[in-house]
Amino acid sequence: MAVERRKSFQVTELNLVPVMNLVTILIPFLLMAAEFVHLAVIDSTLPAIGKPEVEELDPNEKPPLVLSVHITDEGLTIAGADHVLNPEGAATEGEEEEADKGPTIPCKVTPCADIDSYDFAELTRLLDLIKDEYPDDENVILVPESRISYELIVKVMDYTREDRETRDKDGEPRLLFPYVVIAGGAQ
Amino acid sequence: MPLTKAKRRLEIEGELSITSMMDMMVIILVFLLKSYSTTDISVAASDELALPTSTAEKPPGVAVNLVITKSNIVVDGLEILRLTKVPDEENPGQEILAVPEDEKKGQLITRLYDRLLEKAEDAKQLSELTQNTEHDFKGQMLLQCDKKLPFSVLREVMYTAGQAQFSEFRFVVYKTGD
Repeated sequence: MAVERRKSFQVTELNLVPVMNLVTILIPFLLMAAEFVHLAVIDSTLPAIGKPEVEELDPNEKPPLVLSVHITDEGLTIAGADHVLNPEGAATEGEEEEADKGPTIPCKVTPCADIDSYDFAELTRLLDLIKDEYPDDENVILVPESRISYELIVKVMDYTREDRETRDKDGEPRLLFPYVVIAGGAQ
Repeated sequence: MPLTKAKRRLEIEGELSITSMMDMMVIILVFLLKSYSTTDISVAASDELALPTSTAEKPPGVAVNLVITKSNIVVDGLEILRLTKVPDEENPGQEILAVPEDEKKGQLITRLYDRLLEKAEDAKQLSELTQNTEHDFKGQMLLQCDKKLPFSVLREVMYTAGQAQFSEFRFVVYKTGD
């Protein structure tokens, strides 16, 4: 009776060595396939080459939006949406000269010292206004200067694509102008 | 000489217990399984190539891979040309990255144009041979550029690619966490 009880409580140790071998083989394989940084892509196209289509404009209709953002070392200039951003109409001669002098969104420090000196919050605010007027338009043309860094162009693309502060009904950031065309730019 | 009690105990307990090591391995295995990924492209991060970060979320696909580092231009792993530094006219004393003048015809980078044209022709042939719409040549290109690259170089590369029938660009960026 006593011998039987001892037999039933005998502990047999599990041989973990084969499992260990398997895990050791799996780890180098998984290390090779591991992704520690996540990559994404931003789509862009070249501008179309050809004669512009001349359309008769109805004075009662909204003028079409040809939105472009010029990136210079003084700031960002939004063009093609003056009727939204400047609804009072064309500036007078004196004011026009004044307006030509600087960008729509000047840098916080001029000339712009680095990327952080660009006022992206203001860019998003103005693009929000334009999107309110043109909810179906999704294209924006970026026109960078020759010396502008690629990092800044990507940052402007981010802020023209979506407004991360405003959420739509699905909880996603509000889409602004996701289709980017990069134009030749100022020499 | 008979063994003392302590020595005998040492001999008995000398066996290696792999249970704790097994625990560690399993934790590493779970972590690696979580970060397992099969993306179509790989980025060789170095001092010469630091990609910018972005809030974009679109995953990369398969396309001709063009890399512009601080020193050279590489197409699908093959170096095409080396970039030079020229004096910056607007900022005296500073230098700016540029494509060597003898490699260009106007804005067209000749050696890059030849290579990209070959790539486009290869892709078209592959599409014809496989008769598969998935392999149709769509003129797509993955662009990996160093974040400090001036737009003047990028413009010339994009112009050259456009002439070689590549018109859709996918700028590869690091995804930010937020």
